[in-house]
Amino acid sequence: MTGAAQLTRVFEGLASRIDASGFRSVGFTSALSGEGTTTTALGTALSLAALRDETVLLVDANWLQPSLTADAGAEKAGGLADHLATRGELAGLLRWASRPRLAFLPVGDRAVARPSLRALSSFLAGKVASHGTVVVDLPPILAGEAFVLPWAGLLDQLFVVLREGATPLPVVRQALARLGPSATPQIVLNRAAVAAADLAPALHPVRV
Amino acid sequence: MGPYLKTARRYRWLLGAMLALVWGAGLVAAYSEYTTTFESEAIIWVQRAPPQLAGNPEDPNVTVVQTAASQQASLFNQLFLADSFLRDVVARTSLNGTLGNAVQERKALDDIRKRLRVQTLGTNLLSLSFTGRDASIAREMVDAALAVRGQRVAQARVTATSQISGLYQKQLALGQAQALDLQRQVEEFDQNHDGPLSDLEQRRRDQLRLALDYVQIRLGDLRGRIDQAVLAPALVDVSGSEFQILDEAREETVPRGGVKPAALLVTIALAAGAVLAALLVLVGTLLADRLAGPATVGRLAPARLFATVPRVGTDGRGKRDLRAELALIAFEDAGAGSRAAGR
Repeated sequence: MTGAAQLTRVFEGLASRIDASGFRSVGFTSALSGEGTTTTALGTALSLAALRDETVLLVDANWLQPSLTADAGAEKAGGLADHLATRGELAGLLRWASRPRLAFLPVGDRAVARPSLRALSSFLAGKVASHGTVVVDLPPILAGEAFVLPWAGLLDQLFVVLREGATPLPVVRQALARLGPSATPQIVLNRAAVAAADLAPALHPVRV
Repeated sequence: MGPYLKTARRYRWLLGAMLALVWGAGLVAAYSEYTTTFESEAIIWVQRAPPQLAGNPEDPNVTVVQTAASQQASLFNQLFLADSFLRDVVARTSLNGTLGNAVQERKALDDIRKRLRVQTLGTNLLSLSFTGRDASIAREMVDAALAVRGQRVAQARVTATSQISGLYQKQLALGQAQALDLQRQVEEFDQNHDGPLSDLEQRRRDQLRLALDYVQIRLGDLRGRIDQAVLAPALVDVSGSEFQILDEAREETVPRGGVKPAALLVTIALAAGAVLAALLVLVGTLLADRLAGPATVGRLAPARLFATVPRVGTDGRGKRDLRAELALIAFEDAGAGSRAAGR
């Protein structure tokens, strides 16, 4: 097993459950920042790409801190915001990742548009639908409620990433209450105390 | 309040043990303090000496020699500040020779200074006490403090008396010389004027006699003052009216004077126990109100646990290393990993 495969194995359980549930579009958010949302979204997208025989589109919709866009070195590239502002065709904005069947849509110029229910609805119903799965990285609910709520009703499933032993429950309850009764998010427990020590050595070969 | 009460119930045994330990230790310390504290106290009556017995009203030592209760209390407190006074006191007790080297002596004297206490009980009544672990030492310290104070006051009195007497003696010698000179002038005048005196001569003679009479009266007054300066302190000493010890210090057979320190210890122990218990409940509540594991997610209903992402042991490199590796896999260009790791 390669180092990359071992790394993505961390997210295999989550990806398998998403696959088994038949979700075609999923979003990852959290109550606070620092919960590991972006890592989870990226890892899940990689695992799904390996798991499914169809393309996975990873969307950076974190208007507050677009880490994925920065990781991809696409800060100045057009992206989701430009598409929502009808300033660019999706095909021209997509960046194909180095992994097979994984495409990435950066956040784009956040000043030109904000995510609205109508725009996102047409986005998800448009050419995006040609991708097998859409994985969306969202900002924390309490910090960026306005950027999360439009997605909540449109995605097949919204996941709230919580960090075991760290996230205060009252804060989580507050965040879930902000989502309202219409959206019933499910919880992804990050950094759970499950033995995964065998993955640690796998980090070295990849890094080198 | 609910979560805190719940935490308190959860940790009731730990709280009980902690409170028993802290409060128990406090109570034991307080009991020990109370039973090993002995206070000896002397009650003293003081009054001012009659003004007639005051050697010189302008003498700065007057307040030392003769004072009322507050002045005497103030005098004691000032004496306590002097290490030499305390050394003299210790030298008169069983503690003599136990002060040790300079550093130890300083510490011991400071300790003694704290234990000696003077209190005014009224306008003419004051008490002097010493609190210690040994009943006999406490009595000795009070007696010695009174004795050394008496010695110091007597020394001050002798000094003041000799100074005043010296002043009067000098004035007397001057007056006597003046008197002799005037006497000689009167005699010379009488020898030079046998017959009837003119008005002018009569006036001159009267002036000389008047001046002589005045100097002789002044000499008599000075002799009286000299006698008073010597006798007055002696009279005050003999009468003992200005400083009378009504109740001598006793060697207490039962603990005394330890109630306040014991009460303070109990209060501190009670407060410390309560604060520690409150902290434990607070920390316990805060820790309990976090996601402790998959089982805790049930408390977030209707949201349900979908999946868990295991913690990856990265030899202390943390979560960002994992994201950096993932970014490198996904966006395989040279900068992806380092960009992610840098954030």
